[in-house]
Amino acid sequence: MSRWLGLIALVAVALIGAVVLGPAHIALRDLASSDIVRSLRVPRALLALLVGGSLGVAGASLQALVRNPLADPFLLGLSGGAGLGAVLAIALHVAGPWALPLAAFAGALGAMALVYRLGLVGGAELDPRVLLLAGVAVGAFTGAITTAIVSLAEAADLRNAFLWLWGGLSGASWDTVLVMVVYIPVPLIVLYATARPLDLLALGEEPATHLGADVEPLKRRVYVAASMLTAAAVAVSGVIGFVGLIVPHITRLVWGHRHRSLLPAAFLGGGALLLFADTAARVTVAPRELPVGIVTALVGVPLFAVLLRRWTGGGARG
Amino acid sequence: MRGLLVASLLAVACRPPADRPSAPPPPPAHRIVSLAPSSTELLFALGAGSQVVGRTTWCRYPPAALQVPDVGDGLNPNIEAIAARQPDLVVLYRSQLNETAAGQLARLGIPSVTLAQDRLEDIARAARELGRLTGRQAAGDSIGAAMEGLLRTPPPAPIKRVAFVVWDNPPMVIGGGSYLDQLATLAGGANVFHDLGAASATVSIETIVARNPDVILVLSDSTAPPAYSGRREWRAIRAVRERRFIMLPADLFGRPSPSAPAAVAALRRALEAEGPSRQ
Amino acid sequence: MSDAAPLLSVVRVTYRYGGAATDALHDVSLVVRAGEFHAVLGPNGSGKTTLVRVALGLLAPGVGSAELAGRPVTAWRRRELARVVGVVTQREDNLFPQKVRETVLLGRYPHLSLWGAERPADRAAVTRALERCDAVGLADRWIWTLSGGEYQRVRLARALAQEPRLLVLDEPTASLDVRHEMEMFELVRALVDRHGLAVVMITHHVNLAARFADRVLLLADGRTAAQGAPAAVLSRETVERVFAWPVAIAPFDGRPQMIPLRQPKESA
Repeated sequence: MSRWLGLIALVAVALIGAVVLGPAHIALRDLASSDIVRSLRVPRALLALLVGGSLGVAGASLQALVRNPLADPFLLGLSGGAGLGAVLAIALHVAGPWALPLAAFAGALGAMALVYRLGLVGGAELDPRVLLLAGVAVGAFTGAITTAIVSLAEAADLRNAFLWLWGGLSGASWDTVLVMVVYIPVPLIVLYATARPLDLLALGEEPATHLGADVEPLKRRVYVAASMLTAAAVAVSGVIGFVGLIVPHITRLVWGHRHRSLLPAAFLGGGALLLFADTAARVTVAPRELPVGIVTALVGVPLFAVLLRRWTGGGARG
Repeated sequence: MRGLLVASLLAVACRPPADRPSAPPPPPAHRIVSLAPSSTELLFALGAGSQVVGRTTWCRYPPAALQVPDVGDGLNPNIEAIAARQPDLVVLYRSQLNETAAGQLARLGIPSVTLAQDRLEDIARAARELGRLTGRQAAGDSIGAAMEGLLRTPPPAPIKRVAFVVWDNPPMVIGGGSYLDQLATLAGGANVFHDLGAASATVSIETIVARNPDVILVLSDSTAPPAYSGRREWRAIRAVRERRFIMLPADLFGRPSPSAPAAVAALRRALEAEGPSRQ
Repeated sequence: MSDAAPLLSVVRVTYRYGGAATDALHDVSLVVRAGEFHAVLGPNGSGKTTLVRVALGLLAPGVGSAELAGRPVTAWRRRELARVVGVVTQREDNLFPQKVRETVLLGRYPHLSLWGAERPADRAAVTRALERCDAVGLADRWIWTLSGGEYQRVRLARALAQEPRLLVLDEPTASLDVRHEMEMFELVRALVDRHGLAVVMITHHVNLAARFADRVLLLADGRTAAQGAPAAVLSRETVERVFAWPVAIAPFDGRPQMIPLRQPKESA
């Protein structure tokens, strides 16, 4: 119980920090009335929580699905698809304030469908190892096309599209928060329902079947739901790496491998991590801002190294 | 033989940081490849347009420049395409990325000159230098003097607070290191991001809100307000809410240019035209 | 043998894998009732694992039928099936580190509702399963610290936690030493005798199967070479034909034991 309280407290601290701190100096007593806080900081903090949480849950689920603790939601080609979608939208001068997110979302879904199709062996069974390889291939391929378009393109705009891909929550507003709040509950609930069968899947597909899991529908559901969450995250905030990779490992150290507790913990943990990273991105070089994808990498890599030492040195092995 | 002499002088002379000419004093260059929009525009302004035999894809001004063959990019240039134009002078944009290019051209015996072209004072220097190299010294000195005069006059008291927003996701603004900042200052616009030393920087929207510019300057040839003005988070900025945008067309504002005096005047008029709050 | 209705009824099944030249199984039957210990023997590639897969509904036979408790196996939902049949596969690749109690608890999955939490009854079932497998002392150990024999007992406990009526074991004693192998066979026999479980065990260990099992099915090339009580099945002619090696048969404990004869290589 105390673990959960600690985690919730961490999220609360992260939220408060994200609202109180910022490049613009706002006195505590002015917080509630400040327009900056109400229209910018609060939605941005909520978006960080929702995006970080989605990435954490997607990462934990995908690691169980492909039976590989190094899996990251972006390993499955979604970021490549999103980038290509975004770049095409700019190159084709698609108008509208939601053009970029929608195009990125569509691109991510396209990549998801392609990787899924490639991951089917024998026409019907989803092979997680093939899925991984297909994801890497699709990611590389779309990345190459995107780079080609950008390097051949005329407008400076296209070169700036790469900056978008680096990841950032600057597009946060109450509108984006609303979209996420409406969108993510379904994939989250679907994934939570797969929590127990995912525990079984850790034993292997055949043992899981014998213990009562419907393995084929399970794999499909996990893949699609996790991809949907990731696609939404990329659409609103670009590619923010390491959250989906690191957070499940950190939460496993405390909550173990039972996905019924791991998934909610990964949501809260991912949200807290992204909140801290975004606050750091906004504040450390103020008035300039760092891309949050860089901060998560700068924080994530040393953290990962520490975890790796713990794992290979002593303690839990897997 | 002359090529060898020039090349060896080049090897000695072409070193950063100063702008070094290929050799003092060379005969007027007749076949010039210009690898930056600013230098292309300058050469035409000097009346040496007919001497330009190559330009980059990005060199669009003046319109006459479009007749000149395109040799590709100005950063990390295509040496083969340049050599195919058989130039006797190549004008390079000064940047880390072009260091090797100068060396490669030297090895081929092609004289080159590397010019900084980021700020208005660079244009003054470049005008004089290119004037000398093309045998149009008088024109070059005249342009140079005009630019220096512009820069010497004390700037007017600022009549509006401005911000240049060049990209929305992530939000990118122009800082004090850019020629645009110089133009704004000369026109009476105070760039709220003047304190940022870089030419451009990523900032949070809330920083723009906090610094509260009166008007947003946008590099654009169309009159429509930028796409992000419809997004909710951008409307936290007063100038966006009130639709106070000034569009800066590329011909005057797209690069540091000898037309700077005209650009300053146009911007000044636009700033004066911005009345008090409409809402 | 009991007269009760058969629990597992595999009747004259034939199965051919896609693209294969011959049947993996041809006209094979296996009927298992509560309180019976069946051993499935045969050389490599004789169709033992295929038989189990058909029996459990993983493969649909081209000819013949497989029924569990009177219903076709393919008509059972996976979860329902897991409440009746506990399977210990040849191998499992447990990726994530866990404690013994946690891994045995996974066996309760077929009894848990979609959203409900584990109940005290589930934990009691886990404890009972551990007791039956003589593994209570291992309950709080991490599984990677277990020896091969201990881990097999834990896997068996997990299958028992499902509270099945039928246990299917695929070579559960491969790579176990004498002591652990004997312990496993004794354990299985006790489960059948004391708790009325039905057991189907695939094993290479002909002699232990002969001593512990009630009935033996000997497969060769997908066909039934012999089926029935160990004494009837394990005759010298049959064993030599099936395993293609000369043997002697000697009784021990009232059961036939196979002793392979030597066939020294001629010098070249």
